[in-house]
Amino acid sequence: MRTRSVVSTTGRLAAAAAAVLCAAFLMARAAGAAPEEKFLHVQVSDTKTSGENVNVNLPLTVAEKVLPTINRGPLHNGRVTLDRDQLQGIDMPAIIDAIKTSPDNKMVTVRQKDENIDVSKAGGNIVVHVNDTGKHGDNVNVTVPIAVVDALFSTTQKNEIDVAAALQALDKASDSFLVTVENATEHVRVWVDSHSQPQ
Amino acid sequence: MILLGKIALGMMGAAVASAGLLCSEGFVDVNVVQHRDSPPHIHVIVPAMLAPIAVRLVPDEKLARASEQIQPWLPTVREALDGLRDAPDMTLVEVSDPDEYVHVAKYGGDIVVDVADRGETVHVSAPIGAIYSTVEALAAVAPMSNNRSSL
Repeated sequence: MRTRSVVSTTGRLAAAAAAVLCAAFLMARAAGAAPEEKFLHVQVSDTKTSGENVNVNLPLTVAEKVLPTINRGPLHNGRVTLDRDQLQGIDMPAIIDAIKTSPDNKMVTVRQKDENIDVSKAGGNIVVHVNDTGKHGDNVNVTVPIAVVDALFSTTQKNEIDVAAALQALDKASDSFLVTVENATEHVRVWVDSHSQPQ
Repeated sequence: MILLGKIALGMMGAAVASAGLLCSEGFVDVNVVQHRDSPPHIHVIVPAMLAPIAVRLVPDEKLARASEQIQPWLPTVREALDGLRDAPDMTLVEVSDPDEYVHVAKYGGDIVVDVADRGETVHVSAPIGAIYSTVEALAAVAPMSNNRSSL
C-alpha cells in the first residue's frame, strides 16, 4: 500500500516537473522569438468565364520600406495629401479620439431604398458594412483596427493621411481582414496575417 | 616537362577559380518556348555576374532613355529588393485568366517570373543581387542624374 502511495507521489511530482519545464521552455521561446512577419494579401477573383483571378502577397516590411520612397502625385514620403474639400472641415483626430474612448457600439446606421450602411466599433476595430441591395449590388465589409486609423490621421498636417504610419500600426496589430467586396461575380479580399501564402 | 606540367596546373587552377568567381552570384535563366508548328526554343543560362557587366558594354546612348526613366525609381527599387532579399520564399503576384497565366515569386534568393499564354511560355529567373547590380549599372548610364553621386 505504502509502495503504491510513494509511486503515485513520485508520478505526480514528475508530471508537475514536466509541466513546469514545458511552461519554462514555452516562456523562454516566446521571450526570445522574433516578432512574426506580417504579410499583406490582396485577392481578386472573378467568377465570369473570362474572369481574371489576381493574387498579390507582399511582406508588410517591404511595403513599409518602399512607400516612403515614392513621390508621385499626392503621395510623398509615405503620406497622401488630400484636397482641402475632401475632409470638408471634419476634425478626424478628434473623432478618432472620441471613438477610442467610447465603448463598443453601433455608431451609424443608414437605411436607404437600395443601400444599407452600418458603422460600428467592435473589439478595437472600426467595422463598416455597406450592403447594396440592387441587382448587381456590392457588399462591402471594412474592418480596420482603430490603432491603424489613428496612425493614418496622426500627421500634424490636417490635409494629409500618413499611410506609412498606418502600415506600421498594421504590422503591430493582430491578423485581420481589412476589406472584402463581394458582388454576383466578383470577390475582393484584402487582409493581413502572418502567412506568406493565402490560407 | 615538370615546368610545363606546373604551368598547365596553374592555368587549370586559374580557370577553375575564374569559373567559380563567375558563378558565385548564381545564374540568370531565360527559357522561352513557343507553341507553334516548328517551335523555336530559346534557353539561355548565363552567370548573373555578367548581367551588370553586359549593361556597361552597351553604348551609353542606347541606354540613356532607359536609364533616365529608371532613375526616379531607383530608391524604390533599392528598398524593394532589400526587403525581398530578407523575405521568405513566396508568391508575390499571380494573375490568371483563361488565356494567360502570370506568376512572380521569390524563390531561394531569386526572383522568378513565369508567363504562359496560348502562344508561348516564358520563364525568367534572376538572383536579387544581380537585379540590384544591373539596375544600378543601368541607372549610372545617364549623365545628369541626381542619383549618380550615390552610386
